[in-house]
Amino acid sequence: MDMPRRVFPRIAFVLTVVLLTGSSYAIPAFSRQYGTSCTTCHIDFPKLNDFGKAFKDAGFKFPKSDEDFIKVPQVMLGAPAQKELWPHTVFPGTIPGLPPVGLRFNQFFQYTSGNANNFYQPSGAPGSVQPPTIPRTDFEPGYFSIFMAGNFGSDIAFWVDDDLSVSGQNANGALGDGYLRFVNIGRFFKLPTDALTLRVGQFEPDLPFTQARSINISPYDIYTQANIGSSSQNVNNVYALQNGVQGIEFSGGHQYGGYHYSVAVVNQNTSGTSASPSNVSSPGGFFSDANYKDVYARFSYRFNLERDPASRHDIQAAGATGPRDHTYLSLGTFYYEGRSVQRFNGGTAGTLLTAREPFYRVGGDFSFNYRTFNLFGLFMYGHDHDLVLNSPDDPTGFIRGPAANFNGGFLEADYLALPWLMTIMRYDRVQSTADFLNEVASGNYFSPVGSTRNRVTPGVQFLIHANIKASFEYAVRPKQALSYDPTTLKPLSSIRTNTATGALEFVY
Amino acid sequence: MKRTFMMLILVVGMMSLAASAGSISGKVSGVNGESVVYVDAIAGKTFPAPTAKPVIDQKGLMFQPHIVVVEQGTTVEFLNSDKVAHNVFWPSVGGNKKLTHNLGTWPQGEKRAFKFDNPGAVPLLCNVHPEMAGYIVVSPTPYFATSDKSGVYKIENVPDGSYTVTAWHEGAKSSSKPVTVAGDSKADFTLSK
Repeated sequence: MDMPRRVFPRIAFVLTVVLLTGSSYAIPAFSRQYGTSCTTCHIDFPKLNDFGKAFKDAGFKFPKSDEDFIKVPQVMLGAPAQKELWPHTVFPGTIPGLPPVGLRFNQFFQYTSGNANNFYQPSGAPGSVQPPTIPRTDFEPGYFSIFMAGNFGSDIAFWVDDDLSVSGQNANGALGDGYLRFVNIGRFFKLPTDALTLRVGQFEPDLPFTQARSINISPYDIYTQANIGSSSQNVNNVYALQNGVQGIEFSGGHQYGGYHYSVAVVNQNTSGTSASPSNVSSPGGFFSDANYKDVYARFSYRFNLERDPASRHDIQAAGATGPRDHTYLSLGTFYYEGRSVQRFNGGTAGTLLTAREPFYRVGGDFSFNYRTFNLFGLFMYGHDHDLVLNSPDDPTGFIRGPAANFNGGFLEADYLALPWLMTIMRYDRVQSTADFLNEVASGNYFSPVGSTRNRVTPGVQFLIHANIKASFEYAVRPKQALSYDPTTLKPLSSIRTNTATGALEFVY
Repeated sequence: MKRTFMMLILVVGMMSLAASAGSISGKVSGVNGESVVYVDAIAGKTFPAPTAKPVIDQKGLMFQPHIVVVEQGTTVEFLNSDKVAHNVFWPSVGGNKKLTHNLGTWPQGEKRAFKFDNPGAVPLLCNVHPEMAGYIVVSPTPYFATSDKSGVYKIENVPDGSYTVTAWHEGAKSSSKPVTVAGDSKADFTLSK
């Protein structure tokens, strides 16, 4: 029985995903530039409050009279009066008086429940000492990242972040988001203000609830759900909703009230099975493996619920005792459509067979906020067409197999008990046919018993200062299976794989 | 004749008053920037509340002016000139946390007023923008002054007599000392943080 050899890398993978998927940012450069606290834009960094959303929507500017708030004088790249000479001169812009650079570091500590820790390789001789599969406690450095954001003194904004090291390994770093954003270009077409904005580059899609700016230590399970089948399913789609995408995005409206939409055309984000030897190389470093482009779209509407119209339409509502977001109900929907590419060497004819399996992700979301209490959730359904080789020995094409589906989502309640104390309760659930088949085949005990993966994750976070915090969460999972009865396929030796995770994070 | 006599009485009275009014001047050292020096409460003596209403503006995410000195009983108006909402509250008056008060939060162009009946330093805060800070120093008497940036101050028109004089500076420990005023008097202070 070679299950442990398969189990260990999966455990390591799961731990890595749990600990290192969070990619959260707050921007100290803006604090320096405007001489204001992180809490002007963040509830509990990196979670944005209404003003932070408006600041971001406006192209990293104060939505009104931005120049009145800038404390560090800007460097002019051309006098403002040069505008009158355009097109006979370069249009004037500005850069910040301070480099718009911020740094971020985090580290983790994790405790895994004894059941998992005490899982010894069953191949050892009776009574022999076997090393634990995973350490019960583990310290783990996280990200050290550099990030920049700002604007050019106009309606052109930018964002670039890069992980200089991940998990202590310098070689693991990579570009996170890197984009230019042309705000309110709809004015050139006489559209209503903020009705059309263009973003170009690599970015997190306009998810209902951002993963990049999530306050949670572990990512939302549904966001990490890829659709990778084995045995009877021939799907190999690694796309997950949290993945960054490369392309262009048109958007409009506001995140802090009323409608908001986005439509993005992005590179395919799949890396399905390639032919061997590979016949489609990408010497130019292209990300996409086909000319087909995926599409992501989102629409939401937020109802601010204050009775007073002035307050309801203001960017940031504040109660008599201080700041708080609007009381609101937001409803939204999203859709992603793409094609997952798999290539196979043909049979005797030696031809290349390419399966382009259409897939889509569709879902809905809601968010309700009352003062410092925020309840939000998301449901998503994923569907991948399954094209199976028409002959295992001499394939010449594909036939349609049963689709690989999954669904799930999360429900989370955040309550800011004190300005520095955030309490969190969260439920994640994913049901996947591919997971079920994989589970039976592999015996991965971080996968579900059956087809459902779920967990309840309470958490608490303490802002030591506005830019440093300590976070804790405890993931409670149902029993997982070490192995299955080969006859009944019932799980054997079920255990729990609960995990407690602590994190320290700061931005500077 | 009667009018002439009355005028004479008035002139003599004013001259005698001027002769008995002095000043307190000196320097506050050990700190940088403006300090506030005021005469503490005088036993058995009260002063009418001023009618003027100084305005503190919230502009550019700052309280402007940063420090305001008022006489006890003064009503101060708080204006928001920013295009973002601001709040005004203070956690204490003269270190007395029971006197904490929250004026609320309001948008651009609006202002709210508050009458300061308790003496002492009032640290002004905005809980929308926690970096904002300002101060009102409520003097129990009308005899107060703000120093220049080098710490030099002068309190004018102080009647001759013996008083307790207090020097206050943002972030420093206040210091008080007895001062006898007979004409122009001197009182230097050294403050520390």
